[in-house]
Amino acid sequence: MIVVIAIDALEYNLVEKFNYKNLKQEKYGKTDISEFSQPRTMVLWSSFMTGENKENEILALGDKKMWNYQIDIKDTFFSKFKNPKVIDLPGFSYDLDEHKKERELLKAFFEAKTQEEKEKIKKEYNQRSLEHHKKIKNEFEKAIKGEHDFVLGYFSAIDVIGHLNFGNKILMKMLYKDMDELAKKVRTLGYPVLILSDHGMKAIGNFGDHSEYGFWSVNFETNLKNPKITDFKNLILDVMKEKDKEFK
Amino acid sequence: MEERLKIVIVGHVDHGKSTLIGRLLYDTDSLPESKLKEIKEFCEALGKDVEFGYVLDHLEEERKQGVTIDTTQTFFKTKKREYVIIDAPGHVEFLKNMITGASHAEAAILIVDAEEGVKEQTKRHAYILGMLGLKQVIVVINKMDLVDYKKERFEEVKKEIIEFLKSLNIEPKYIIPISAKEGDFIAKKTEKLNWFDGPTVLEALDGFSKSDELDKKPLRFPVQDVYNFDKRIIAGRIASGIITEGDEIIVFPSKEVTKVKSIEEYNKILKEASAGKSIGIITEDKVFVDRGDVITKKGEPAPIVTDTIKGHVFWMDPTPFKEGERVLFKCATQEVMCDIEVKRVIDSSNLEVLSEDATTIENRQVADVIIKTEKPIVVENFNDIPSLGRFVLQREDTCAGGIITGFGE
Amino acid sequence: MDKLDALESESIYIIREAYRKFHKLGMLWSIGKDSTTLLWLVKKAFFGKVPFPVIYIDTGLHFKEMYEFRDMCVKKWGLNLIISKNYEEAEGLGIGPSDKLKCCAIRKTDALKKTIADYKFDALLLGIRRDEHGVRAKERFFSPRNKDFYWDYKNQPPELWDQYKTQKESEQHIRVHPLLQWTEVDIWEYIKREKLPVNPLYFAKNGKRYRSLGCKPCTSPVDSNASNIDEIIEEIKKSKITERSGRAQDKEEAHAMQKLRALGYM
Repeated sequence: MIVVIAIDALEYNLVEKFNYKNLKQEKYGKTDISEFSQPRTMVLWSSFMTGENKENEILALGDKKMWNYQIDIKDTFFSKFKNPKVIDLPGFSYDLDEHKKERELLKAFFEAKTQEEKEKIKKEYNQRSLEHHKKIKNEFEKAIKGEHDFVLGYFSAIDVIGHLNFGNKILMKMLYKDMDELAKKVRTLGYPVLILSDHGMKAIGNFGDHSEYGFWSVNFETNLKNPKITDFKNLILDVMKEKDKEFK
Repeated sequence: MEERLKIVIVGHVDHGKSTLIGRLLYDTDSLPESKLKEIKEFCEALGKDVEFGYVLDHLEEERKQGVTIDTTQTFFKTKKREYVIIDAPGHVEFLKNMITGASHAEAAILIVDAEEGVKEQTKRHAYILGMLGLKQVIVVINKMDLVDYKKERFEEVKKEIIEFLKSLNIEPKYIIPISAKEGDFIAKKTEKLNWFDGPTVLEALDGFSKSDELDKKPLRFPVQDVYNFDKRIIAGRIASGIITEGDEIIVFPSKEVTKVKSIEEYNKILKEASAGKSIGIITEDKVFVDRGDVITKKGEPAPIVTDTIKGHVFWMDPTPFKEGERVLFKCATQEVMCDIEVKRVIDSSNLEVLSEDATTIENRQVADVIIKTEKPIVVENFNDIPSLGRFVLQREDTCAGGIITGFGE
Repeated sequence: MDKLDALESESIYIIREAYRKFHKLGMLWSIGKDSTTLLWLVKKAFFGKVPFPVIYIDTGLHFKEMYEFRDMCVKKWGLNLIISKNYEEAEGLGIGPSDKLKCCAIRKTDALKKTIADYKFDALLLGIRRDEHGVRAKERFFSPRNKDFYWDYKNQPPELWDQYKTQKESEQHIRVHPLLQWTEVDIWEYIKREKLPVNPLYFAKNGKRYRSLGCKPCTSPVDSNASNIDEIIEEIKKSKITERSGRAQDKEEAHAMQKLRALGYM
């Protein structure tokens, strides 16, 4: 089995600062996403799974439709596996309704007139995102104990909660710690693990904006340096081939 | 009406000041509800326990953003009274700010790391507490968790600090082993330190008093200003003692004598007023009085009038003092130019004597000096009446603070 | 001495120092509870007189209740009022609350700069308190500002005991903060004790009240049923939420919204 922990907006500088060893793994660094005009979630994950820059294609859809974009499995490297499990990945197996709800709450927060209303919305937004986070975590933990040869879990809470709470470092630290604990569980299973984020996050006061690089880390040997998000397709397929060879 | 005691927490960098402040706020339930609530909800949603570490991380973060700790939070309350923690940054670059903060405090906590013991800033800060005349001092030996709560280690550090403080004439009221991180002996006594039979930090603080001793000392009423709006009113704040309507008073240094006709407050006539109160008085006779004069009561011990004092000064200006330079001497409301003769100079970080007969004082050095003022001044020994026994020296800005230890050559 | 007596005496001492030491002293009066308390302390310091001008910055955007309250106090207390204003320029340039930063700069800061220059003030009394905002922890009682109002808080002169910075350098003016040690609760307890007039905006109407007063477009009421001073004191003691929470956030929020829109979230 190969495992990918896909974390939206995991920020390189915060991983460094909190020094979470299981997130850093044996080798870690920033990804180069400078080929994209903006660090957009949908664009980056779509490019990841296809190994191609999907920016133009997705931007052509416009802000509304882009979130519903779904790529066929045969156009992704997931199809190279016999029994892959890809949980909640944007552009692929994303829970459209849930993430739409979260975006609506985000919008409602900014449009709310009073502070009280904002606080109420923020609370609902945080709670909802954490509920979803727990659900995905359960699914993911089940999957890595299953019969799959590839498991990817996508975790959005760090991005979602970060947008309204990035200035609250204690909340952020708790989320990073939670992901670190999850990474630890996965790593003890002995599979090759890739931890990848589409982009990081930077502060606007208490709020969070996307930063212009992503994060990656692995627990296996690789010559990868300063990778682009499209490079991970081949990295994973190479690991797969290695494993197949070993098996034979 | 409740009282409020101002405290300052000082000590070497990284000996745990922020942790202690965080712990005091946390254990007295003084953190802003909104923040704690958010943290609690988050922990619940993630299925985790609330840890003090999270709270501290948050405070630490705020500190890094340029705010030692948001002052809206630096109030905490015990059953006895309210406390306010005065901002006093530990870093040596901010020494001026530390001294400023500490000069407004009524009690102090000196924090020492149980592993590291007394360090450079422990010494400097302790010296400043002594110089500022803070008598209500608690020493906490922090990070006991790192030395396995060993009584032996506590006793070692305690001995070291007591000896050192003795040389500064500071007698701490309590020396308490604590772990701010683990919450031992801050608000509650814990099993891990069961060999210690002293109070917790909060109990020790509650044992302090708002100093009311000043009321019992002789009257000193430094004149701040004289107003002639409708009536001729002598305005000022009482430094010590009590003034009563009808009192026979002596104005220093002129020694003119008159009587208090009335004690004035807006829309009010007071029968008496005591130390700390800003008042105005009207006298029976039209004596000559101006800012800088000190009014005293007949029959009580008189203040010292002299143009030569001995003192300790703490220099806090990057530009050193060189003998021959004249600076402004300010004590209570008196201001007069002065010459300074430097005697012994001490390095404030280790209290080593640098010279017995120096001619210059550099930044962060402490010196024994003889100050000669242009005109006679009305002063006291610092230990008798602090507000007439302490002074600042000023160029464009305040460049040193000091206390008076003696008079004459 | 109880808490309020101690605070009062300290404030009066500072006010008298400023009056004695500066040639041309003024006081900023925002019509809010803090600076009205300060005004009262000035009267107490000078036995009923207010011996210097009181400056009110009219942004053109205040509540009508504030103007009414101002006029009532001016009449009752015989104040020498200077109205400092620059809102005609703001209106001419079309700068309003939609651009918060610019709006504040032109309507408040520029207006005050002009007034300081016109009247040659060398020191101003202000009713700020340490507990209002984190950075105010660093404030001194006497705080020098240069001509651009720049505050070099990392390099302030020391302020020992009750010896203050009463000498100003050219181009500087000194801001004097007699209320620095007061808290929001202290202010209300003092208002109650001294029976000071209170702007009706502070009392709850239909479940809302104003906790601090400013320009109409940028000041929102808080949920409250406190309809008298005692209830306000109880409410603040319980709430532990800072007075200005929300206000400072506004600008960041506008910026964040713009970014998130660019990322396709809205």
